[in-house]
Amino acid sequence: MEQKNEKDEDYGYQLFPDRHNGTSKRSALGTSLFTFKHKCQVMLRIALDTSPYAKLLLGAMKHSGCAAYLDRHFSCEDCDGIVSGGFDATTSQIVLCQNNIHQQAHMNRVVTHELIHAFDHCRAHVDWFNNFKHLACSEIRAANLSGDCSFGNEISRFKFGIKQHHQECVRERALRSILAVRKVSREDAEKAVDSVFNSCFNDHEPFGRIPHNNADAGHAYREFKNRDRYYSNI
Amino acid sequence: MAFPTSVWRPPRACDDYWREYKHCQSFQHLFHSYYTFGSAPSCQQWKLDYYSCQEWEKHHSAQAKDALQASERKRVEEKQQYKPVWELRKKPPHDWYLPLQEERENKR
Repeated sequence: MEQKNEKDEDYGYQLFPDRHNGTSKRSALGTSLFTFKHKCQVMLRIALDTSPYAKLLLGAMKHSGCAAYLDRHFSCEDCDGIVSGGFDATTSQIVLCQNNIHQQAHMNRVVTHELIHAFDHCRAHVDWFNNFKHLACSEIRAANLSGDCSFGNEISRFKFGIKQHHQECVRERALRSILAVRKVSREDAEKAVDSVFNSCFNDHEPFGRIPHNNADAGHAYREFKNRDRYYSNI
Repeated sequence: MAFPTSVWRPPRACDDYWREYKHCQSFQHLFHSYYTFGSAPSCQQWKLDYYSCQEWEKHHSAQAKDALQASERKRVEEKQQYKPVWELRKKPPHDWYLPLQEERENKR
């Protein structure tokens, strides 16, 4: 049991106590209308139905053979600390932290971020647990493409920068994510991020561009829906 | 892949080229380009592609078709210039659709 706990702490599972303790509950009965869980589930559904980021990612995953179902691949749970969500590769589930997500815009962004991890898991042999470069790459992509580092979000964190600040933000947030879920020194995490940054920052799949707002995501979604025509005529 | 000329059509609808051009030229996009890359975006190619698309729609010009294809292939190549960090899968993960552990246990 101790060995299992140590292993789980090495991979960040202590941040998600419901899965860490093996007590993930999926109630067959409806939950109270006034709980965090219900609010999380409502916001999740709205995000999946209306966010162009989420719709594009869901479409791309379905195209890759990983259709994502609400009941199977998403879970609203209580989490520790300030973490907002996670992707559990062992169960192929996206975890949303119902106690830390209280606004729809935040839910949209977290869902997008975790769907990018799920998309990477679906299309590539990502070694989440043993290869820091793989983890770093997915975190770079998620920070880059989810809107985490938008100008508005950075201003709200009191991080004021303009010229190429987006890249600084992506680098920093990827580092933070790695340090949150892995027992590794900052120096080693920085090395991993630096070694893959160029390649992963410029990997914009499935968006084809860095979407800075819903309009950009809408353009990307339109391009995605047009892909059959596109690739058969170039 | 060779298609007879009569069934070829531009990779994007002509309106899409114009939409991309106008979006590229917008102040918002200029700001985002500076915020991300530290420089202004290059938008002229979208405009040229729009004109090529219109030329194809009106006259089925071979020159317009070649120009469009060359431009789009260059866009694709630019996206593929970085070596991927991981190996791509040939099929999705085998356990993506498997029921969760507690559901499997409940059914026993």
